[in-house]
Amino acid sequence: MNEKTNSSSTDSGKSKGEGELERLAAGAVRPNLEDPSVVLSLLETDQVVAAKRRTRFGRRDLSFGLQALLWSLRIYVVVMLVIVLISVLRAVEAAR
Amino acid sequence: MLWLLVGPGVLVFLGENDAPSMLSYSATGARFGIGFFLPFVVLTFLVGFIVQEMTVRLGAVTHRGHAELIFDRFGRFWGFFAMGDLVLGNFLTLVTEFIGVRAGLGFFGIRPGIAVGGSLVIVLGAIATGRYWTWERITLALAVFNSLFVPAAILAHPDWHAAGRAMLTWMPLPTGNHYEILVLILADIGATVTPWMLFFQQSAVVDKGMQPRDIGAGRLDTLIGALLASTFAIAAILATVPLFRHGISADQFQAAQFAEALEPWIGHVGASLFALGIFEAGIVAAITISTSSAYAFGEVLQTGHSLNRPIREAWPFYLTLLGSACAAAALVLVPRFPLEFIVLTVNVIAVLAMPPALAFLLLLVNDREVMGDHVNGIWANVAGVVVTVLLICAGIGFGLATVFPKWLGG
Repeated sequence: MNEKTNSSSTDSGKSKGEGELERLAAGAVRPNLEDPSVVLSLLETDQVVAAKRRTRFGRRDLSFGLQALLWSLRIYVVVMLVIVLISVLRAVEAAR
Repeated sequence: MLWLLVGPGVLVFLGENDAPSMLSYSATGARFGIGFFLPFVVLTFLVGFIVQEMTVRLGAVTHRGHAELIFDRFGRFWGFFAMGDLVLGNFLTLVTEFIGVRAGLGFFGIRPGIAVGGSLVIVLGAIATGRYWTWERITLALAVFNSLFVPAAILAHPDWHAAGRAMLTWMPLPTGNHYEILVLILADIGATVTPWMLFFQQSAVVDKGMQPRDIGAGRLDTLIGALLASTFAIAAILATVPLFRHGISADQFQAAQFAEALEPWIGHVGASLFALGIFEAGIVAAITISTSSAYAFGEVLQTGHSLNRPIREAWPFYLTLLGSACAAAALVLVPRFPLEFIVLTVNVIAVLAMPPALAFLLLLVNDREVMGDHVNGIWANVAGVVVTVLLICAGIGFGLATVFPKWLGG
């Protein structure tokens, strides 16, 4: 109460511009700290990186189709590496 | 402003303009001259840009390296397969970088031991700064010398009119042994699009601390890298066209032999620039590729994996980086080691390992749980799928041509 009185008495001595700034500040919307995107926007770059590093993405569900695709590509690579080996051996033989 | 903007994108593309890549471009110019391969190489860089842009978004949004993200979302089983491809490809490529270093400096009479040992000191010097920013600037400053192929090309007095016509019409088409053409097509693709680039750029974006708001700048950085690297690749092709014009067979040429063979046509200065360019290509790629392996190992082992960390805090990261570089350098110095076969096959292996890497990339970049609103658009997906299918077709074509050589006259 006392503070309030002091505050109002000092207000009277301030310039018009400063009073305007205080009114704007009082009326400004406080950031909603429950919203993760708002919190992220307020953090420094290093803090964002550190915060994200502490969390991990979970495993995604691998459907049958997705597993079939990954296996097909894996078999493709192995077969192709064997073929590369064949071509290298042929080149070695031809060079002799 | 440009100096602040450029970074991982320029580094990854100039790093990929490495010794075997420049050798592939040189072989292309010497074997087929000006024609189909000029626009084809530009197309491969466009493909490279499309793919690498996805890694910028992945890194900036998730703040995770590529290996880490694959392990997180697909589990250890698939993660180790992806790592296996990367480790094999990176190590073989690293060996070829030191072959380039040795050959490039060999042109000036520098002994192999001094050339390779001196290069290891440069790699060590770049990481000893203890800051990503300083490491990036040192490597970028070295990468500028990739432009040496441009004056070498000018000294070769290329037919600019024919080059312009080839860029517009893709003509004349390559003729001769189809197997050889197919291998060169694969090698030129492998000179631009490889798995290590995905792992490196995403990790570097994270290490640089890029945020989603920096994606536009990262995209521009990648575009600048692709434009510079494609210009220097075209320059390497044009620089070796005199060999094609004078009917000199470059089938068995190693990097420095190109410089020696070119000397009568582009002079000692031109040949020296060419040899220095090969050395630069090797040393920059040795730095970036060994760092790519170290990032991936650090991410998988969950240990410190940043160039901003001091050595005592992230020693497994630095040990992997220097260990892989030292092992590759040592192999190059082993007498009678079959280096030429590694050079010949390394780009082909890179292309063959690319489809699974692209599949993981496309799955991750379309994962809304990971990417939120930054998932791929329809055209990026169409481009990604088309590139993957084309790479698989090229690989199958190579396989069939190898197993049944008579089909393509091989």
